[in-house]
Parts: sequence; structure tokens; C-alpha cells
Amino acid sequence: MNKDAQMRAAINQKLIETGERERLKELLRAKLIECGWKDQLKAHCKEVIKEKGLEHVTVDDLVAEITPKGRVDSSMNFNTCLDSCSYHYNQALVPDSVKKELLQRIRTFLAQHASL
Amino acid sequence: MKMEEMSLSGLDNSKLEAIAQEIYTDLVEDSCLGFCFEVHRAVKCGYFFLDDTDPESMKDFEIVDQPGLDIFGQVFNQWKSKECVCPNCSRSIAASRFAPHLEKCLGMGRNSSRIANRRIANSNNMNKSESDQEDNDDINDNDWSYGSEKKAKKRKSDKNPNSPRRSKSLKHKNGELSNSDPFKYNSSSGISYEALGPEELRSLLTTQCGVISEHTKKMCTRSLRCPQHTDEQRRAVRVYFLGPSAILPEVESSLDNDSFDMTDSQSLISRLQWDGSSDLSPSDSGSSKTSENQGWGLGTNSSESRKTKKKKSHLSLVGTASSLGSNKKKKPKPPAPPTPSIYDDIN
Repeated sequence: MNKDAQMRAAINQKLIETGERERLKELLRAKLIECGWKDQLKAHCKEVIKEKGLEHVTVDDLVAEITPKGRVDSSMNFNTCLDSCSYHYNQALVPDSVKKELLQRIRTFLAQHASL
Repeated sequence: MKMEEMSLSGLDNSKLEAIAQEIYTDLVEDSCLGFCFEVHRAVKCGYFFLDDTDPESMKDFEIVDQPGLDIFGQVFNQWKSKECVCPNCSRSIAASRFAPHLEKCLGMGRNSSRIANRRIANSNNMNKSESDQEDNDDINDNDWSYGSEKKAKKRKSDKNPNSPRRSKSLKHKNGELSNSDPFKYNSSSGISYEALGPEELRSLLTTQCGVISEHTKKMCTRSLRCPQHTDEQRRAVRVYFLGPSAILPEVESSLDNDSFDMTDSQSLISRLQWDGSSDLSPSDSGSSKTSENQGWGLGTNSSESRKTKKKKSHLSLVGTASSLGSNKKKKPKPPAPPTPSIYDDIN
């Protein structure tokens, strides 16, 4: 496992160094806006905020609602919950085409940098 | 890090795939987080709900989805069968015809002024021509020749030459009116010229082709621009009957320059004849169209004939030239005998 973790860390490092991560991030953001994912989430947020009341909304509330739906309580560490949760509400909303394209690009990157 | 650890080629595909998925997941979560921060900031700064509409307006402008209506709730072609009452003449007019009707009714608008100008010009011509008594007698005598033309003029004047529709009906009527068989030469429709008196002859020659056919010894009754005979032939006939001063007598026009030398007119005519004959085409034949064109050209001669199509301007020019000739030929007063009859029917 350690190897894998190391491997992953190395890959991440490579991603950042080449700037590929930023590019991928921008691409993903553009695609999500295009497919309406952001609007859907926004509508969901509005409901949440109306429930909770405009004054008392915190970042944690929002994150808890948006990312893994209903699987987080405020006591949990934010990062750990993201790592452990297998099901993410928001991910279900992402259209398949966007997911496939991004995966394709990541695989390409990995193939290019097979020998680090 | 050691080289073996770093090498990805040692990994199998499933592992690679898993890594790719993880990277993807990380990216999506980053986007989510970013989005949450944006929303939170918008909430705290107070602009999160700014783009919402109030529910009342939402109801008012809701998209309509019923059959027979568009999304705004309006009925399609609601105005087709509606009738409006004209404020001027108090008649009920169909909605789609209302605007043109108003234009005529109120006497405003481009078309109406054109018609009015034409009528004025025509009535001027008529006033001048009616003062010629002798010519009026001739009109009454020649029922046969003017009967069809009367019909033609009447039907012609119903369709406004200024309206966009005129070109459609013209061809149809030409076929009817000029001859029973416009495309075949009907030999029995000629005139035997021996029976005619000189005045009748003259009036005939001013409206019709008049070329004497070899076979039947009769004059052609087709229009002055009939394609079966050339202008030369027509001129020869006129010279033969009316003397050497005869020129292609076409209808009179109200011209600016009434005084004209014989030489000038002759040269003009010879020049214009060449222009005119180049213009001839079978579709041009038909007395109604010809005379009407001449009449129209005459009515608005100076100003509009230049601006109109080539054909029309040719016609009006030819009309001009010949009328100038006939000016000389007849009396000092401009109009030729057939003119009154034509304009009679138009007005």
C-alpha cells in the first residue's frame, strides 16, 4: 500500500509540475457549467439555504449538503470525510460524457508519463 | 524515490485505472469545494438571491402550453378573419387588406399620389382632345375598331398600372384581346382598306398596325407593335395612304416641347424605330398593353418615363416621336384622333 500511496503522490506531483492538473481543472469547470451541473447544484443550495435560514449558513453546511449528501456531520474532519465517502451526490450529477472525457485525458497523461 | 517505484509501466491496467479514477474524483471535489465557497460568499455578501423573480411575476409570464396558442398565450392568425371598420368610409374591410385600403381611401401614400398624378395627366389629355370635334365623329363611326379597345382599356384601367400586380394580368389579357388567336395569324381579321374613308383610315392607322397583307389585301388589325410586321412596313403603309408626311402615328403625349421640326422628328423617329424594333417580342403584342403603356407613358411622360424600365421608356419615346409627327400632321392642337377614345375609356 505504501508503494501505491507513494505512486499516487508521485503522480500528483507530476500532474502539478507539468501544469496538467490546472488544465484539467479548468476543463472540468467549463464542462460542468456547460452541462448545467452548476445550475443544478445552485438550485439545491438555494433549498438548503432557505431551510437553514440565510443568516446561519456556514461553509460546512454547504459542503455537507453538496458533496456527500447527508453523510457528513460537522464533527468529522472535512478531508477525511471526502476521502472515505464513496458515494458523492455531486458526482452522480456529473454527466457521463464529461466523466469519460476527463478520464481519457488522465489516462493519456499517465501513459505519456509512464516512466517518471 | 527509487526508479522501480516510480515506474508506472510495471503496474497493471486496473491499477492504472484506479489511479485515474482517483485523480478524477479529486478534481471533481475540488470543483465542488470551489463552488461551495462561491455560494457561501454570495450568501454572506447578500447577492445570492438577486437573480430570482418574485412568484407573482413568475405566474404572469409562465409559458403557455395549450393547443392553438403560442407560448405567450396568443391565438395564431387571430387577425386573419377579423374585419376592421374604416374610419374614413365606414366600411368593414378585412384586416389584411386594411392598410392598402386606407392608403387609397385617405389619399395618402406613395401609390395614391401616383394614381392621382396619372389621372390628372389623363384628364388633361382628355380635355385637350375632346375639343377636336371632327375627331370625335370618327370615334363614333369606328365601332368595330374601338369596341375591343374599349373593353381592353376598361379592363386595363381596373388594374392599376402602378400597383405591383399589373404585370401578372397583362400577359393574360394581351392574349385575349389582341386577337382570338394571338399566336396564329388570323387572316380573316384584317380590314379591307378600300371601304374606309380617309378619316377612318387615319384613325385606324394611328391605333393599329395596318400593314396590308399580300395574300388577303387587308390591313393588319394587330397592335402598332405587332411582331409580324416591321415598322418599315407600317411606315410604308402610312405613306401610301396618307401621303409622304405621314409618320408612325402613335398616341399623343403631353410634352414639354411641342414645337418641333420635321427633320428633327424624322431623325428622332428613325433613331427610335431602331430602338423600338430591337425591343419587340411576341409577348409585347396586344393592343391593350401597347396603348396602355403609351397612355401610361404619356401620362407621366417626362419625369417617369426616364426612370422606368427600358421597354416602357422606349414605348413612351416612340409615342413621343410619333405624336410629335402627328402634331405636325394634324392641327396645331396636340391630340390625335384616337387619343380621346383611349383616354375616354381609361377615365
